[in-house]
Amino acid sequence: MLVVSNIDLRVNTPIISPLEFLKSSNKDYILNINNDYRYMKMGYYVSLHAETIGSKVIPSTENIIDAYRVPVLLVRASKAGVPTLPHLITDSVKQIMSEFRFPLVVFAVNPFSPNNFKIAHNRSALYRAVKSLSMNYKYAVCAQPLIGHIATYKAFFGKCDSNDDKVNEISKKVYETFKIPICKLHMQHANGEIYLCGLQHLTLEEISPSDISAISSHISAILGRGEFN
Amino acid sequence: MNSHEAEALDYFKKTAESMGHKFKFLFRNGLSEIPKYDAVFIRATTDPLYTAYVVSKTAWELGLKVIDDPQSIIICANKIHQYELFQRFNLPHIPTIFISKEELHHKKIEEIFESFGKPVVIKAPYTSFSKYVEKVACETSFREVAKKFFRRSDFLVVQKFMPSRFDWRVGVLNGEVLYVCKYMMPKGKWKHGVKRRGKPSFIWGRTVTLKRENAPEGLKETALKACSIIGKGLYGVDIKEINGQYLVVEVNDNPSIYRGQEDLRDMDIYEKIIRYLAE
Repeated sequence: MLVVSNIDLRVNTPIISPLEFLKSSNKDYILNINNDYRYMKMGYYVSLHAETIGSKVIPSTENIIDAYRVPVLLVRASKAGVPTLPHLITDSVKQIMSEFRFPLVVFAVNPFSPNNFKIAHNRSALYRAVKSLSMNYKYAVCAQPLIGHIATYKAFFGKCDSNDDKVNEISKKVYETFKIPICKLHMQHANGEIYLCGLQHLTLEEISPSDISAISSHISAILGRGEFN
Repeated sequence: MNSHEAEALDYFKKTAESMGHKFKFLFRNGLSEIPKYDAVFIRATTDPLYTAYVVSKTAWELGLKVIDDPQSIIICANKIHQYELFQRFNLPHIPTIFISKEELHHKKIEEIFESFGKPVVIKAPYTSFSKYVEKVACETSFREVAKKFFRRSDFLVVQKFMPSRFDWRVGVLNGEVLYVCKYMMPKGKWKHGVKRRGKPSFIWGRTVTLKRENAPEGLKETALKACSIIGKGLYGVDIKEINGQYLVVEVNDNPSIYRGQEDLRDMDIYEKIIRYLAE
């Protein structure tokens, strides 16, 4: 198994940089560790190169694309048993208001905005959110009802920085479905239940030394077991 | 949407209805209705970051027949992906290399000009409809164009400049040639579609259509081989004929189908596409 990483990990195994890997064509099992797997970023191209040379890779390009597109994330996660709330893809404020009550959470579905979201408590805030996230109504947005509050967790190999079993269960299922080793998960807490609402990349600055230790331990455990699933 | 494209969409509807199917147009605000249908035919710019991909993937997850399927979108919308596959499967294509953000320096640019000559063509991986493809002949322009395209992608495609009067366009569905045409370059230009200086509009070259059985066999074989690497959907393969050799420029998902152009010599393309969707 070959570990390709842009993060300075503390593991007893050789690690190669993404650029070095992209120049190679040796087939192997590839564990692609990157803070940012977004489409057309370096983390994505590492998985793409691994697939085109015929290697098995975590994460796959298909899973990367799906996990970072909120509506697809929700459809696939829901199929895997992760609790999610209804969502609507549209560029029409009127349609959102006819389907859901306030407050709402709105995600962008376009090539230019990162997967961040805006919360709207009233009609004018919703107009502002949709106008901004849809880039002046050029693209669609994905709206979900906000029935509680949103909390964001860092997730490494399906383990979250939370003591809540439900949060950890969602994180584990999202990892089992999409196999994204490093990400941030947005979840809604409402009436004792927790719902997945989005997934986002982490910036390098958001990864602390203790996070690096946690990621390194997960990788050492995977390498020790020799498992790839 | 131009009038030829709108006419083609109407013709798809008429054809489907004459074959006993229901055919409805869904727009962005009707996407929640997708589960009510048996098949989805996407006619919009496809890119994994656009709504079209969400539609394709949702339909696919629901078990619907879909053109363009998600995997075809993933491969065709990213030229780096496509050319990596062409290289792996030894498909004859235009000499191509990839360049990363970190490699944008004097030595690398010199190396590229040395091996491909001047000018070279820089393509953003997300190019479509001749956009985000530029010809550069010096280091300054190379850096300027590359920096612009690097805003969205960490890698770019650089290709040898191979001018021709036209590119072949071969429409393929499920491993079968649907139509063949020549996309002519506008007079004095090197691309089929060229942006007017200082204006948002484009000048397009003429489309010359052939009956598919009259098209060269080598051309059709090259197109089918290229599509077999991608999948079994609907594709438009762009091919250059250089000294009797067919070199693939790219394979496009969601190819243009305009009334009186791609369908001019083979009117059965509508029926074939509807039949594929309804299978």
